[in-house]
Amino acid sequence: MTALCRSLVLSFCFLPGIAQALTVVDQTGHAVTLPAAPRRIVSLVPGVTEILFAIGAQDALVGVTDFCDYPPEARRKARVGDMLAPNLEILVSLRPDVVVATRSGNREETFDQIKRLGLPVYLVDEPPSIADLLRLVGGLGQLTGRRDAAAAVAAGLERRITAVRQRVAGRPHPRVLYVLWPEPLIVPGRGSLVSELIASAGGESVTADQAQGYPRMSLEAAVGRAPEVIILARHGARTGPAVREQWQRLESLPAIRSGRLYAADGDLLHRYGPRVVDGLELLARLIHPEAFK
Amino acid sequence: MTGGARLAWICGGLFVILSVVALGSLLVGAAPVPPGTVFDLITGRGPGQGTERTVVFAIRLPRIAAAVLAGAALAVAGAGFQGLTRNPLADPSILGVSGGAAFGVVLGQVSGLGQGIVEGLGLTALGFAGALVAGAAVYLIASTAGGLPVHTLLLAGVIVGIFFSAAITVLISIVDTNRLGGVIHWLLGSVAPIPPGALGVFALATAAGLWLVLGQARALNLLALGDEGALELGVDAQRVKRRIFAGAALLTGTVVAFVGPIGFVGLVVPQALRMLLGPDNRVLVPAALLAGGAFLLAADTLARTVVAPAELSVGVLTSFCGAPVFIWLLRSRAGRTSP
Amino acid sequence: MTPLCEFRHVGFAYPVGAHGRPPFEIRDLSFSLVPGEVLGLIGPNAAGKTTVIRLLSRVLDPSRGEIFLAGRQASRLGRAAVARQVAIVPQDVPQGFPYTVEQLVLMGRFPHAPGRFFENREDLEIAREAMAITGVETLAAEPLDRLSGGERQRVVLARALAQRPRLLVLDEPTAHLDLRYQAECVALLRRLHKDDGLGILLVSHDLNLAAEVSDRLLLMAGGAAVSAGTPEDVMQESVLEAVYGCRVVVDKHPATRRPTVNVVWPDGR
Repeated sequence: MTALCRSLVLSFCFLPGIAQALTVVDQTGHAVTLPAAPRRIVSLVPGVTEILFAIGAQDALVGVTDFCDYPPEARRKARVGDMLAPNLEILVSLRPDVVVATRSGNREETFDQIKRLGLPVYLVDEPPSIADLLRLVGGLGQLTGRRDAAAAVAAGLERRITAVRQRVAGRPHPRVLYVLWPEPLIVPGRGSLVSELIASAGGESVTADQAQGYPRMSLEAAVGRAPEVIILARHGARTGPAVREQWQRLESLPAIRSGRLYAADGDLLHRYGPRVVDGLELLARLIHPEAFK
Repeated sequence: MTGGARLAWICGGLFVILSVVALGSLLVGAAPVPPGTVFDLITGRGPGQGTERTVVFAIRLPRIAAAVLAGAALAVAGAGFQGLTRNPLADPSILGVSGGAAFGVVLGQVSGLGQGIVEGLGLTALGFAGALVAGAAVYLIASTAGGLPVHTLLLAGVIVGIFFSAAITVLISIVDTNRLGGVIHWLLGSVAPIPPGALGVFALATAAGLWLVLGQARALNLLALGDEGALELGVDAQRVKRRIFAGAALLTGTVVAFVGPIGFVGLVVPQALRMLLGPDNRVLVPAALLAGGAFLLAADTLARTVVAPAELSVGVLTSFCGAPVFIWLLRSRAGRTSP
Repeated sequence: MTPLCEFRHVGFAYPVGAHGRPPFEIRDLSFSLVPGEVLGLIGPNAAGKTTVIRLLSRVLDPSRGEIFLAGRQASRLGRAAVARQVAIVPQDVPQGFPYTVEQLVLMGRFPHAPGRFFENREDLEIAREAMAITGVETLAAEPLDRLSGGERQRVVLARALAQRPRLLVLDEPTAHLDLRYQAECVALLRRLHKDDGLGILLVSHDLNLAAEVSDRLLLMAGGAAVSAGTPEDVMQESVLEAVYGCRVVVDKHPATRRPTVNVVWPDGR
């Protein structure tokens, strides 16, 4: 009985493998046709790498970038180089069935070259909203034949997001300035994921009316909005303690007077993977600490 | 030995060197392809498809072709500018001509031109236009009654280069941030495999530029007698200068359009050849073609293997090599006098 | 006999302020030079002697009048055709000239086949012959910047001879030479024009050299011809004093009986 069940289960598992040619629509609206469900995937996007691990597709992942460092197991995958100039020879030697790349981070020349080498490319964009992020998770689930796992992951993320929203509901929204990069000052504008996260975390982003995406802004203009909470994104050496000191000196700001200058891990908020929700929870704790006592 | 025979020997020798470097470059790379397989593939006996075939024919070979063409074009352009200005420090990057070409090409990229055949022509044309504008600007700024004094020439080149860098920065800041990394990467110069159609455009444009410069090589020698001295010998000095300038600008614009601005090749290669072979442009220009190709190919091969799987920008390597040569030339007698 | 070159009422004016030069013009200049003749062009600075050379070689074109070369209008001839007939011997090569003696002399062959990429055997022969005549064939492989002033002067002369011109124009040929080389130069010029029927236009500050070597003299001042004729006709004290603005005594050379000019140096009062 057990053997029969096992073989039945196994044969169901093989079904995706003997499926017909697979056509999916990638996140930019292009159709990508593959001869079969991909068994070897190269990810040129750290966020996508995280999602693939989260939905259990890591066995199909054969190559990642130097920046794909989460989860720790990702570091054991073969490296193809950085995002701007991945090493084409290594990429080709990994014999991928599909390469996942992004228009926000990889160069167009790169994925053109990959297509010319005969490798299908699944393009993603930086999701401008939480809903788009969840769609990305679903799309990758469809690509890897792990739709159910993806749906489960998405559902789990949605639950946590709703929970955060409920926690901070009804509270006054402090003015929040989020600093993606200190110099030149880059902030989240309209239609950016971080703006939506701040709103969901119960804050009012002072830069939500700026241009689409993550535009530059003059320091004066930002400071003139008198933020009550300032969050500095940490991306590595350049955004460390020295930057905090610079902002501490702006003593006239409400945020500085009340000591509400915080740092947040940039990887959580900008990689558009499942950890974005970790980032959301972090933002909520920083903006409404009293709701989490 | 007549001039023709000597040229044939020199070109033969340089061609051998170029072939050796090309073969070496074909054999090394980040993907492990055994030498035996490489030879099989080249001689047609290798596997009909597969990773190794892709690596050798779709990645390495086009990249080698691009590097050779770029190096050849830059070296010939350098020789042309040096003959025109009668100064061995003249090189497309130092004279700001590369900067002008880069501006033209970035303008094209930002407007969406890519690497199709027609688009490649468009980028080349924009690069050529930018190179012409920059070269004309340098000439107008630096020329005095007595010719082109070297210090004014260098200053003018620096200024024009800075101007176009600033213009490129303005363009970049208008372009969305996502493209930023890509443009900056390109500005350091990157030799990458180019599709065959575009490669054809590259080769054709290089040939056209070479024809313009080489055709005037003998007259260029006579320009060393001064404009009047050349006129007295029957050389139409202005026509010769215009042609060489156009040829050198076309070569510079083409290289920048396909691999980005790469500096110092036009300085180092002709100078080394001049020390070995003498100042006769009829020998120097063809030799620069072959030696420049070998030089940049060697540099690019180094750039893609020395810190594999990461890659250095080839412009970084040529700058490391070229800056000391520039300084040495500037300090020595050669920097003060005619090439 | 058709003159090798003929100026007929030639006028020329530099564009005002061109290249920092003061305004200058040549007015109604007419003269001719026949084969086998040595014509000495003399006159003070800014008399127009250099401009005449430039007009002859078509570096400049006259604004009035016509220049004829061997009976044909120079303005109708291509540059290379002009260079095949007229060879200019400059005072020197530009600073930092990088080529060797032989390479420079071979440049003189350019006008005969401008389309040819490399010189052929005949060109090499002619070049060697020219170097032999001027006595520099042992220096063939030397770069010019390693030679002395006198050697360089002979090399540029060799280049002009390699052009196989009908008219040789010498621009201050003895300017930087010491006496020995000056004498050698004179001997060489005499041999050349006797042997080959070459016409020579000699432009020189050195009045005595010009008087010695020339068959005829043309004295210019302020862009116009002041006097023309045999050395005896032209070298008159009154004329020279008016043109040069200083007192002179004209005498006869003790050995050759040609006129010589001696300046009466002022005593400072």
